[in-house]
Amino acid sequence: MSVLEIDHVAIGYSSTLIVNDLSVEIPKGQISTIIGPNGCGKSTLLKAVARVLRMQNGAVYLDGKAIHQLKTKEVAKRMAILPQTATAPGGLTVFELISYGRFPHQAGFGTLRKEDYEYIHWAIDVTGLREFSDRPIEALSGGQRQRVWIAMALAQGTDILVLDEPTTYLDLAHQLDILLLLQKLNKEEGRTIIMVLHDLNHASRFSHFMMAMKGGNLVVNGSPKEVMTKENLQTVFNIDAEMAVCPYSKNPICLSYQLYDIKE
Amino acid sequence: MSNSFLTASQQKTRRKNFVTIVTLLVLIVITFVISMNTGVIKLTPMEVFRTLFGQGDAQQQLILFEFRLPRIVIAVLVGMGLAVSGAILQGISKNALADPGILGINAGAGLAVMLYISFFPTTKAAPVYLLPVLAFVGAGFTAILIYTLSYRRHEGITPMRLILTGVAIAAGISSAMIVLTLRLTPENYQFVATWLAGSIWGSNWRFVLALLPWLLILLPFVYAKSRVLNILNLGELTAIGLGASIERERRWLLAAAVGLAGASVSVSGGIGFVGLIAPHLARQLVGAKHQFLLPTAALLGGFLVLMADTLGRSLLEPSEIPAGIVVAVLGAPYFLYLLARLKE
Repeated sequence: MSVLEIDHVAIGYSSTLIVNDLSVEIPKGQISTIIGPNGCGKSTLLKAVARVLRMQNGAVYLDGKAIHQLKTKEVAKRMAILPQTATAPGGLTVFELISYGRFPHQAGFGTLRKEDYEYIHWAIDVTGLREFSDRPIEALSGGQRQRVWIAMALAQGTDILVLDEPTTYLDLAHQLDILLLLQKLNKEEGRTIIMVLHDLNHASRFSHFMMAMKGGNLVVNGSPKEVMTKENLQTVFNIDAEMAVCPYSKNPICLSYQLYDIKE
Repeated sequence: MSNSFLTASQQKTRRKNFVTIVTLLVLIVITFVISMNTGVIKLTPMEVFRTLFGQGDAQQQLILFEFRLPRIVIAVLVGMGLAVSGAILQGISKNALADPGILGINAGAGLAVMLYISFFPTTKAAPVYLLPVLAFVGAGFTAILIYTLSYRRHEGITPMRLILTGVAIAAGISSAMIVLTLRLTPENYQFVATWLAGSIWGSNWRFVLALLPWLLILLPFVYAKSRVLNILNLGELTAIGLGASIERERRWLLAAAVGLAGASVSVSGGIGFVGLIAPHLARQLVGAKHQFLLPTAALLGGFLVLMADTLGRSLLEPSEIPAGIVVAVLGAPYFLYLLARLKE
């Protein structure tokens, strides 16, 4: 069953299309990942799904309804978005930023109600930020900061989470930490997670469904076993990959790789 | 305001913010009393209080109610308008250096005033009440021009382009004004120069009446948008993700910023720096949440302009230093201090 249907979508300007004519259905309650080389249009596609970019053609359907025709506030109650470079204004505390996640559920002056507090405190606990909640955001480390943004998206109380490279700029342990958190949210609460990841092995290990893009087109999509093959990686990234099996997920991973023109 | 969902430290912050706001109110009242005593004719604080409560003689009443009080009220209102205008602009542009001057509001108002004076220098008796109207129209036109020039189809208004266009237009207008000064007679020049420096020149109740409705409508409107300003401050993508119609919200908030600054500048002349400094200071005092930031900035702005005007009137008695200059003299060092701290 699909929660989001991307239907013949074209994005970009009339002269230069970044995404040409892309159709794919994103499964409900699963982790879906978009992979692809730099400039392949994966972030662009994510932004169109998140209704940040207007489409030249086609439509994105959220449970059968065209997303651009829905009220933006209504979409925000269903789908939370974590952009790649999120920055908080100085002086804001962790609690305050997370409380902004309640925006689509509030009206008027925005006094937080009991339900709002429950969501905020749940988001703080599930991301393990309890001891930091009164600190200013600029006093946190990169990994903690990323957790705060995820907590804000969680406080939004949506069943769909869209994340653009949530592990960028984090060290190995903190990358895994964020991905395990997302996996937990998916497993325990059935949330649909859609993200762009740079690390192929992370994508393979944590996804149910993968989409590989190149030059604005969807090259291949399916389970990690279907997408993470030597042939596909050659087509998409132009690399000669040595494949192995991840001991944790039993999915294929890329052990190491070489560029074709160097190998001769 | 107790709330069982807040931690002790959050309640402490809340209390601290309320104390800040009350302190500012007290400061304004103190400056108000000092300002009432400032002027060529000295009145004791006791006389001021008695006159305020209807016990003074005719001369005291005239001085306080017809000269000093309207001027004080205007100074406070202008300060509030400029500060909130600056807070809006800094909020939606995510740029701590944005202020109403950048939107070309001061320049546009100044140009309108100057055009009028240089082309109708002889009808000097009549235009006093026309000047604020002209200044407001000039401010509005400039803002619309800048908005149109920085608008792009598909993208709408990006704050960065708005600021760059604003700076360019303001520079263009300033050079046009320099050309126009060549046409002016010395006394008209002096009037324009004082106007541009930001003296609270429109000091009677009629100007209060012209300014007050703007603030009464726009300040609550902006305050009601605190939540929106909070999330616009997080950047475009996040704001859209949270469900804000950013294009529409930005347009309304920009219009409110222009209205507030235009109305203020039209009776005060080109007072700069308040729109820059008041929101800055407010952020240091109460943080980035607009529910607290906006009222704090408004009170700080009111306090700053009132203090500047009072100082300007008393330092070189009997002549006056325009409030705009006093604000700049006080504001510039603070600004340099900010820059130095940012570098660290």
